[in-house]
Amino acid sequence: MRMSSSVFVLDNGGWTAKVGLSTDSPITVPNSIMKAKSERRRPFIGNQIEECRDVSGLYFMLPLQKGYLINWDVQKTVWDYIFSKECCPINLSHTSLIITEPPFNFPSVQEAMAEIFFEEYEISSLLRINPSTLSCYNYRHKNPTSKCCIIVDIGYSFSHIIPFVNDMKIKAGIRRIDVGGKLLTNHLKEILSYRQLHVMDETYVVNQVKEDSCFVSQNFYNDMETAKLKIEDNTIVKDYVLPDFTTIRRGYLTDAGTTLDQQVLRMNNERFSIPEILFHPSDVGIRQMGIPEAIMDCLKACEEETWPHLLSNIVLIGGSSKFPGLQNRVLNEVRSLAPIDYTIKVHLPEDPITYSWEGGKLLSKDPGYSNLIVKREEYEEEGHALCYDKFDI
Amino acid sequence: MAGRESGRIKDSIQKRILDDDSRKRRQKKALDALEQDNFHEDPHADLVMSKKVPKFQEDNKNSTRKRKTRSAEYFKLRFRKNFIQLVEEDLNYNSSSPNYTTAQVPQSCYPERHFCTVCGFPSTYTCIPCGARYCSVKCLGTHLDTRCLKWTA
Repeated sequence: MRMSSSVFVLDNGGWTAKVGLSTDSPITVPNSIMKAKSERRRPFIGNQIEECRDVSGLYFMLPLQKGYLINWDVQKTVWDYIFSKECCPINLSHTSLIITEPPFNFPSVQEAMAEIFFEEYEISSLLRINPSTLSCYNYRHKNPTSKCCIIVDIGYSFSHIIPFVNDMKIKAGIRRIDVGGKLLTNHLKEILSYRQLHVMDETYVVNQVKEDSCFVSQNFYNDMETAKLKIEDNTIVKDYVLPDFTTIRRGYLTDAGTTLDQQVLRMNNERFSIPEILFHPSDVGIRQMGIPEAIMDCLKACEEETWPHLLSNIVLIGGSSKFPGLQNRVLNEVRSLAPIDYTIKVHLPEDPITYSWEGGKLLSKDPGYSNLIVKREEYEEEGHALCYDKFDI
Repeated sequence: MAGRESGRIKDSIQKRILDDDSRKRRQKKALDALEQDNFHEDPHADLVMSKKVPKFQEDNKNSTRKRKTRSAEYFKLRFRKNFIQLVEEDLNYNSSSPNYTTAQVPQSCYPERHFCTVCGFPSTYTCIPCGARYCSVKCLGTHLDTRCLKWTA
């Protein structure tokens, strides 16, 4: 049988899509259409935002809501951009596509996806898969002796904890926490606007503030005491110099009180109380477990003999796992919750954002790859039923 | 016997106290706000896009292609379902096996922590009318001036 000439991996995230041919390295594309106040002639799709000089007051149109594909018109426009000459020029009719979807994706979304790719883009074959499965594949590829792993995907829309035993996902053990990067950014926006400066319209800039200045505390109440000290003794307080889009394009963190001529945000307990929500969602009134507790809860759904293997292979992926200190905090908290005779290891990949994409790249070279996919001819013959049989949810 | 009683107690009776339902409503509103994509309105909403303007992109060059590509608008209409509809549909369709609703983590077994709604530091006091937390008289003052009962829905 003739093999498809190329494989394109599309990790369709809520904030960014990670895209590229399996022979290349991934490109990160904002998965949204953005409208700027300063540029009224056109919207910006994906990476076109780099052409926009002044990104203050950016308005976002996102295809995904709570992590699931809802706004198809926006998504189609972004995909058109991704497959165009501007981003990744590929011949779709000779391409096999790996696309990611969240756990428990809804059947009607899945049907719509298959229809759009086979009938509109006319791709030669499709593999619809969880980003966690790709990450698991990537992890197993690098650690062949690890039979089990727990993928902790801290994304933009939510966080998932997904256990794998012998490469099989344990569906009953999947846990979702409704806290992700979006909620963190929005909460930071809210408290900054109340305490200092109205930044409710500045999602894009505040997201950068979050990325540049937030960290995960190792001893929360101690850090709170430190943050109460005067500037001279306070090791946490910093000033964030805001971008003005003439000389400063992206803001940066600096010592408190040293900048006089620029507009700054004073970052004190905000620096660590924002990522803290991942560990205590109840801090903002979400009555759910934090990540370490949810990891332990997910174990309950797995057989006890797999526990030591699962606990020594915890893998963090997703953009929000990049907060400094997060890996260590997860390790310490799981350590204190788990039985003492189990070894606990928390693995943070070099780039947790593209880890799933890299997994897709490796999977496309797997000898079993051609058995996983649905070809266009097969889809035309058997339709959605075949997709249900072949693709795991 | 009128007259001699504490002024503070008299005032506190007159003070409006939010009931549990409206406190919950307020909290739900705050949580919904955390899910918003944008706080402000579409800055281009008042622009009228002319449909007659030709698009100088690949569409023109590819005119030899047989297939007509469908517009993004077509797919919006074709797959029109909102999030709540999808969750309900999923619950009806596969209620026995693990699904979106069952995957949500349960409530934590640890007690909630409380932080001052004004400055963010750990707090010990609760505002009587609205239930917000505060840590000092200074923060209570700010809270009363800016937020307390000011947003009542």
